[in-house]
Amino acid sequence: MSEFPLRSDALLLLAMCPALAVSDTVVNAVGLGLTALVFGPLTAVTFGALRSRLTPQTSIAGLLLLSSGAVASVELLMRAYSPILYTNIWPFVALFSVNFALLDALMAERSTAKSTRAVLRLCAILALALLLLGIARELVGRGSILHGAGAAFGDWAQALETKVFAVDMGFLLGMLPPGAFIALALLIAALNWLKRAHSAST
Amino acid sequence: MATPTEDAHRPPHDVARSAAVLATLGAALALGLYGLWQLTHERIERNRQAWIEQPLTALLAPMKYDNDVLADVITVVSPDVLGADAPASIYRARLAGEPVAAVIRTIAPDGYRGPIELLIAVDYEGVLLGVDVLRHNETPGLGDVFENREAGWLEAFRGLSLSNPPAGRWTVRKEGGAFDAFTGATITPRAIVKAVRRALEYYRAYRDRIFEADAAGEP
Repeated sequence: MSEFPLRSDALLLLAMCPALAVSDTVVNAVGLGLTALVFGPLTAVTFGALRSRLTPQTSIAGLLLLSSGAVASVELLMRAYSPILYTNIWPFVALFSVNFALLDALMAERSTAKSTRAVLRLCAILALALLLLGIARELVGRGSILHGAGAAFGDWAQALETKVFAVDMGFLLGMLPPGAFIALALLIAALNWLKRAHSAST
Repeated sequence: MATPTEDAHRPPHDVARSAAVLATLGAALALGLYGLWQLTHERIERNRQAWIEQPLTALLAPMKYDNDVLADVITVVSPDVLGADAPASIYRARLAGEPVAAVIRTIAPDGYRGPIELLIAVDYEGVLLGVDVLRHNETPGLGDVFENREAGWLEAFRGLSLSNPPAGRWTVRKEGGAFDAFTGATITPRAIVKAVRRALEYYRAYRDRIFEADAAGEP
């Protein structure tokens, strides 16, 4: 990754900023995760196809055009099919896609196939991290999993809502923004620990 | 790829091609978005209606009315009585042309984290039919407990009016009022109580004008 100006884990952390804001419940986290999984690769592939036809100077303009188109489409779809999710996470989706534009621009040195794979991998990691953070924070903050899924994803998801334990007030730190940073730190610590355990055993 | 002779012409050629690609991309995106809008705008409009219609009809459930309440709406601006600079909508319910109830959509400007959007329903005599929170930014778990932990809190408004409790007690218990606050959150309930009182005062002062004004049509 020597040709890459930012290390991918640093970039990932950067992209996590809006993610931290919406990971207070599993539903919001999954909403943003799905958006990332669909639109990240889609814009990366489209941009990859266009890049060779543009000069380096105009490729940024093309990228911005493409991102704004993607953001506008997500907005329309979300308002039509999940207005609750739209009210909850919309501003962060818009912010999030700026990160994708940045990502695609940074990948410009690489071949299309390679950068698409990298974007896909990053999106998968992001979605997974979001899911883990969402589960941890909602469990601690509310004692539930997928609270409000029925309202956000449709009636079929109502059955997925689980009350794990009854809390009077919950451990609020989990729901509030500082809880996001603590949960993220714990997640990174766990990953490092796993990495070390893995390298020690091989 | 490029031969030397082509390279000599490269800049103007590439710029023209880039411009063409960008223009095509823009046109394609515009077309795609237009198609998507065609596909979704009816649903979005329906969602927007339902968002207000569901709580509105729930609040008016105990009343008998036969008009299209959603369309029978006026917009008023009254910073001095309602306490907010933003316009408020008032939906009017009628039975055979006679006024039976009004639903005031206003905001409590002094919530803990920004304004709280409220729907306040009163019958013709000025007795509260109910209060609902449409949108808010209150702290999860503290200021938003009217949504779950103390779900009955908003119900306590039903049946109250400006004379019950008396005007001086329209605040939270901590300030000598008649309303419970939430554990750990006083500002939110105080803001809501104050906004409801202001809406009732507005209704009492302007009731006849509220029902006589021509409907402004759909907001």
